[in-house]
Amino acid sequence: MALLERSEWYDLARTTNWTPKYATEDELYPADMSDPYGISTEEWETFDEPYKVTFREYVAVQREKDTGAYSVKTALQHSDYYDVADPAYLSMLKMHYGAIALSEYAACQPDARTARFSKAPGMRNMGLFAFLDEMRHGQIQLWFPHALVRKDRQFDWAHEAQHSNNWAVLSGRHLMDDVMMTRDVPTCAIMLSFAFETGLTNVQLVGLSEDAAKVGDHTFSNLITSIQSDEARHAQIGTPVIEIMVRNGKKAEAQQALDIAFWRVWRVFAILTGVPMDYQFPLEKRAMSFKEYMHEFVITQFQRQILDVGLDRPWYWDHFLDDVENHHHCQQCGIWSWRQTVWWNPTAGVGPREREWLEEKYPGWNASFGTYWDVVIDNILNGRDELAWGDSMTAVCNMCQIPISHRPGPEWRARAHQLDYEGRRYSFCTPVCKWIFGTDPVRYKDHHSIVDRMYSGEIEPPTFDNILKYMGCGEVSEGGRDAHDYAWIEAYRTQPQAAE
Amino acid sequence: MAVNSTPILCRFQYDCHIRLFDVDQADDMDAVAAKCAAHIVGRQVASQPDKILRVRRTTDDDNAPPFPRDMTVEAAELTRFEQLDVYFDVA
Repeated sequence: MALLERSEWYDLARTTNWTPKYATEDELYPADMSDPYGISTEEWETFDEPYKVTFREYVAVQREKDTGAYSVKTALQHSDYYDVADPAYLSMLKMHYGAIALSEYAACQPDARTARFSKAPGMRNMGLFAFLDEMRHGQIQLWFPHALVRKDRQFDWAHEAQHSNNWAVLSGRHLMDDVMMTRDVPTCAIMLSFAFETGLTNVQLVGLSEDAAKVGDHTFSNLITSIQSDEARHAQIGTPVIEIMVRNGKKAEAQQALDIAFWRVWRVFAILTGVPMDYQFPLEKRAMSFKEYMHEFVITQFQRQILDVGLDRPWYWDHFLDDVENHHHCQQCGIWSWRQTVWWNPTAGVGPREREWLEEKYPGWNASFGTYWDVVIDNILNGRDELAWGDSMTAVCNMCQIPISHRPGPEWRARAHQLDYEGRRYSFCTPVCKWIFGTDPVRYKDHHSIVDRMYSGEIEPPTFDNILKYMGCGEVSEGGRDAHDYAWIEAYRTQPQAAE
Repeated sequence: MAVNSTPILCRFQYDCHIRLFDVDQADDMDAVAAKCAAHIVGRQVASQPDKILRVRRTTDDDNAPPFPRDMTVEAAELTRFEQLDVYFDVA
C-alpha cells in the first residue's frame, strides 16, 4: 500500500483537541499551567510549527544521531587526546559538563509540561519531541564525561555540580528555576525556546562544535553537533507562541517575558561562552572574539528575529551592549582569582600575546582589565603566590547570583544597585537585574544567595574555608588551580617589557 | 558573625568586584578601610603607598563627603549590607 506524503496527513494527525465531557476545559487546562493570558483555544489551535517532524521520522533521525555520536566516542576512546590536550581546553569541558548536563535533564520538565498542558495540539507534539531531546542530551552529556573521571576527578562534577551549592551552580539553578521550571507553558515557550535557545544557545552550539573540532576534540565536536540539531528544531516552539500572543493583544506580556529571560540567560551565557572564546581557546585557534560573535549572531540576527515576531528589542539594550564589552572579562578576573571556588582549573589567558589580542579586540582592555592583571602578574613573577588568590568574599547579585563586578581601573565602574523590600536589603549587579526583581518581588524575595546564607546560619561559622566546603570544593574534588600552573608567566620573564 | 559586627559592601577604588566584609561597630573609618585593603591592595589593586584611604557612602553621583577618619561604624550608623566607597586620597 502506498504511503501518503507527510504533508497530506500531518495537519489532520495533530488535530487532537477534543470537547471534554467529564471535566471542564479549565480543569483539563488550568490557567496557571496552560494559559494565564486568557487566549481562546481556537487561537491556540492556529499554532503552526515551522519545523515539522513525525514521530516515525523523529525516532529514525535520533537513532542515527545517537549512533553517530557514540560511534565516534567508541572509535576514539583509546586515543590519548585527553591526556595531551591543553589544560585550558579540558577546563572548558569540565565547566561545560558541570553546568549543562543535568540542566538538560531538568529541561525535560518544562517540555513535558508543554506536552501535557499546551492548548495547542501542534505545540504538544513539539513539546514531546523536545522532552525526548532533553532526556537524550542529559544522558549523553553524563555518559561522555563519565569516561574521563578516571583520568581526572574534576570531571565528576558533570554529575555532581547540580547537586551542590557551588556559587556557579546556584547562579545557573536560579536562572533555570525562573525561566523554565516554574513558568506556565506559553511564558516558558518565550523564555526557554525563544530567548534562551533561539536567542543565545542554538547558534552558539554551532560555534562550540567547530571550535572543538579545531583543537582536535572530534568526540566533543560530534556530541555538540548532535545536540545542536535537536535544539535547532525545538528552539522554534517560541515563535508561533509570540505571534499568537501579539495577535491577541498580549504583546506587553510577551515582551516582558522576553526581556526577563534574555537578560537572565545572557548573564550566565556570557560566562560559559565568552570566557572560553576569549581566554580558554588557544590564540591561534580563535576565529573571532566573543564580542564579534555577539554582534554578528545575536545583536544583529536575533534583534531582527525579535522585530520579525512583532516585539521590540529589550528596553535595556544599551546596558546589554555595555555588558558585552565587560561582563565576561570581569568574571574571568573573578573566576581566575577565586579559582579555588570552581570545579575546573581556570586559565589566566593573559600572556603578552593574548593581551595584545585582547587589546585589539577590546580597545582599552589594557588600561582597565590590564591594571587588575598587572598586579596579579607582578605577584607571580616575584614569587608571591599567596597574594595571587582571592581570600575574601565578593558580593553576589540577588538575581543572577553572579559576583557583582564591572570594569576596573580608572573608570572604576563596579557598583551594587540596591533596594530594600519588606525590611531586607537586596543587592544587584545592574539596573536590569534590579528591574527583574521589581517585576515580581514575591516570586524572588525569599531566595538566599550564597552571601545571605553566610549570615542566615546556613554556613556556620561563615569562614572562607567553610564557605568552600559548603560549595563542595574539596569534597567532590579539589577546587581549581591555574590551568597551566603559571607556565604562561615565563613569557613575561623573557619579555619583561610586555608586563609594563 | 560576631554580635557587634556588621557586613558591609566595599566598593574599592580601581577594583573590579564589590567585596563583602564584616566590620565592628567600634571600628573607625581608618580601620574599616584597612580591613578592606588587606584583601584587595597588592592582590588585585596596585598599592599607592603615598596615599591614604578614605571612606564614604556610595551614592549615585559619587559625591558623598568622606566620613571623618576617626568616626566609628556605630556613629556613622552603617546598616547591614550598606555599600561604601573606599578610595585613595592625598595624605
